[in-house]
Amino acid sequence: MAEKNGTGSARQLTVRHRGRLAQIGIYFGKFIRMFVYQSDWKVLPMAALIAGLVGFALGSGFGKTMEGTLTGAFAIVCVCIWNGSFNSIQVVCRERNVIKREHRSGMHISSYILAHMMYQLLLCILQTIVTLIVLYLVGMRFSGKGMFTPWMIVDAGITMLLVTYASDMLSLWISTLVHTTTTAMTIMPFVLIFQLIFSGGLFSLPKVVDPIIMLTISSPGLKAMASQTKINDLPYSAVNGMIKMVDSVEIGGRVTVGQVLDIMQDTENQTVVELRAVPIGNKETLRQLCEHLLEKDHYQDLRSETLTGDVTVEDAIRALMDLEEMDEILDTEIGGITTLGEAVDALAASDSIQDLRDEGIVVHMTVGDAIDMIGREETMARISETASEAMYKPDYAYTSENILGNWLHILIFVIVFALASIITLEFIDKDKR
Amino acid sequence: MSNILRLVLVLLFDSYQPFFIAVRCLYILGAWLLLTKSGLAGWWSLIPWVREYQLGRCAAREPEGRGFCIASMLITLLQVANICFEWMQASHTLQSFAPLILVILFAVMLMHFVYNIRVFAGFIEVYGVSRWWIVFGIFDELRFVPMLIWGLGKKYQPGWKVEDLKAEMKRLATHGSAAVLDEGLTVNLKDRHVKEFFRKKYLLKDIHMAIPQGHMVLLLGGSGAGKTTFLNAVNGYEKADAKVTLNGNDMYSDYKKMKYDVGFVPQQENMRNKDTVERTLLDAAKLRLSKDISKEDRLKRVQDVMDIFGLTPVKGHLVEKLSGGQKKRLSISMEFLSNPSLFILDEPDSGLDGVMARELFEQLRGIADTGKIVIVITHTPDRVIDLFDDVIVLAKDSSRTGRLAFYGSIEDARKFFGRQKMEEIVKSVNQKEEGGDGLADEFVLKYAEVQHG
Repeated sequence: MAEKNGTGSARQLTVRHRGRLAQIGIYFGKFIRMFVYQSDWKVLPMAALIAGLVGFALGSGFGKTMEGTLTGAFAIVCVCIWNGSFNSIQVVCRERNVIKREHRSGMHISSYILAHMMYQLLLCILQTIVTLIVLYLVGMRFSGKGMFTPWMIVDAGITMLLVTYASDMLSLWISTLVHTTTTAMTIMPFVLIFQLIFSGGLFSLPKVVDPIIMLTISSPGLKAMASQTKINDLPYSAVNGMIKMVDSVEIGGRVTVGQVLDIMQDTENQTVVELRAVPIGNKETLRQLCEHLLEKDHYQDLRSETLTGDVTVEDAIRALMDLEEMDEILDTEIGGITTLGEAVDALAASDSIQDLRDEGIVVHMTVGDAIDMIGREETMARISETASEAMYKPDYAYTSENILGNWLHILIFVIVFALASIITLEFIDKDKR
Repeated sequence: MSNILRLVLVLLFDSYQPFFIAVRCLYILGAWLLLTKSGLAGWWSLIPWVREYQLGRCAAREPEGRGFCIASMLITLLQVANICFEWMQASHTLQSFAPLILVILFAVMLMHFVYNIRVFAGFIEVYGVSRWWIVFGIFDELRFVPMLIWGLGKKYQPGWKVEDLKAEMKRLATHGSAAVLDEGLTVNLKDRHVKEFFRKKYLLKDIHMAIPQGHMVLLLGGSGAGKTTFLNAVNGYEKADAKVTLNGNDMYSDYKKMKYDVGFVPQQENMRNKDTVERTLLDAAKLRLSKDISKEDRLKRVQDVMDIFGLTPVKGHLVEKLSGGQKKRLSISMEFLSNPSLFILDEPDSGLDGVMARELFEQLRGIADTGKIVIVITHTPDRVIDLFDDVIVLAKDSSRTGRLAFYGSIEDARKFFGRQKMEEIVKSVNQKEEGGDGLADEFVLKYAEVQHG
């Protein structure tokens, strides 16, 4: 049974016990054991599963288009917030009574929280690595050079780690505030929804809520992630999809003489190049040339060739011949011209045609035809580029100040939430009995 | 009507429309009458929000009264905000918050309705009237009707008065002090109270005793008598208006150091189930023992304690795998590591069968025999009463405050209460509504007389 020992209160007054720093070590060791015994390791496969699902849904557009990358960045931030939040939402409240007991036995609250911070940091690092590996495997690539390291994946990893860790600390604070795991799990969805809605990325919110956006982890997280993926330099391809949707929509319009001539002089357009090479024989005037082209059977293919929309070569020639103002021009001598291209160039170069360039020919065409007229690839690229410029956001600028600023913003959250956790838990003795 | 006048009227009457102001005036008059009948000052009814809290107290529904008060306050504030928005011709941006405010207002009104009904139900019980009266409580504008009827009607008398508590406290006030022991525990507790809303709530009052070293003391008391509160006050964890000394040292002023000299074993084990027995004790030793102790000594101490409490065979097991008795012993051994002078155990035998409980108390007796003070709360004291030296009996008096009904040897206790069994003593001091004899006040006064003349 208990041994006789002459210890007493007087002795206790002179005894020195372990300080805050030493206690951090005690609790860190304890939490590491919990990782094994309490199955905390399960958060790692969970992180892999979530990352896999998100990556599977978003993989293809990430890093290629502006909107795909923004959605992807938002999804990654959501994954990080989710992971971080569920790491620590129950850790304090589930052992509140144990903490109370240990606190009255000499445990320092600050040591306990700091040990948690160290342990949770380790957990977050592991989760970030797992998430990055899974995202890579499902096709979401962070390729290229980073702003601060030679590998963009490392830069992105730092952002993901910070977002995960800040969310972890927020949950830790909530866990110190509430007394039961049930309450903690009830509050959690509200916190997540708040973070997602006020991320400031995907939803257009009124200006008045800007201060609230500043209070979310998701906002700087999304900004940093979007900046790192150089989102402002990416094409805004959503507009291409929209154009495809209206490709067959008919639009009425007028094509001027000048436009027809310009098209016929566009040597980058393969169809035009082929038309221009058509031999036309030696004719004295333009009128003779036009009549020759309209009458001879072996020009049938040329006549039915589409210039733009429904406008064929035949339509254009007849429209030009019908114009009274063209009479003088059509009677101009063009001796020595052997191809259609040479005829068009001669016509375009004549002084008389300059006044007629703005004369219109009514045509019917679709949006797609109009784009084809200008050149589809070039037009789509230009539209995408212009839309991308219009969508430019200074918040997503690929600058070291921007990325560092956002990192700092998240770090401040980490510190604030950790301090709040310590302060809140210091009041554990005041729990209502 | 000017906006300032509207604001004042809303603050006072929750409305600026004449009809609702008239109804509110009648409600205030009804509240005045009910407060007066329950022993409170009528003028409380003139103070918005506080009136709702005081009504809750009169209805013996104090917690609901708090909710009622907060809900009323929120409704008024939302109305004030609305008037201010109109007054300042709030910008479009601010007006965009209107739907949100409406949602909040709806939630608050729901909360107000629920608390209102609960308080009203309390009045029905206190006045012993038919439950049909609750119909008036459902409609806000009709509440004044029963309030005026109950307030004015002489046949309606409350079954419980708020002011009784103060009078009872005065009647039961005892004074005195215990001489400070150089070797032992001395408690001179004037009171332990908490501040709740607009008033003080006394949990403990006038407890004085001196427990010599080597005594094993049984702490008895019914539910809500303040046993745990008393123990927390004794070990300095929850400070009271008191002077507590252990072996001549002040527990409060030297709490940071003295807490290592007190072992408090809570009712629940409060240990991490997923840690091993040995690691639990090693970590506890690091926290509780001096940092100057070598690692070898610390390990030896842990091993010794495991041997004493029979935990060596299970030292590698997870805590969750231990039996109820083993968990209790582990919980006690954690506190025993630092070899404290004062050992406090809150129901250490809960969940243990008679044999295991007996073994555990014998171990505690052994600890007391080494010169420690052991204070134990248990609800089944008679099976182990022979192991105790003294008994403390705490009782909840008619003002619902925990008081000392007895402290002394087991034999003296039997003579004082005129009962042989400890469980009968507890029954005698328990309130009648708890199934007891309701003799708490009598014994508190009797003990004060015996102790201090």
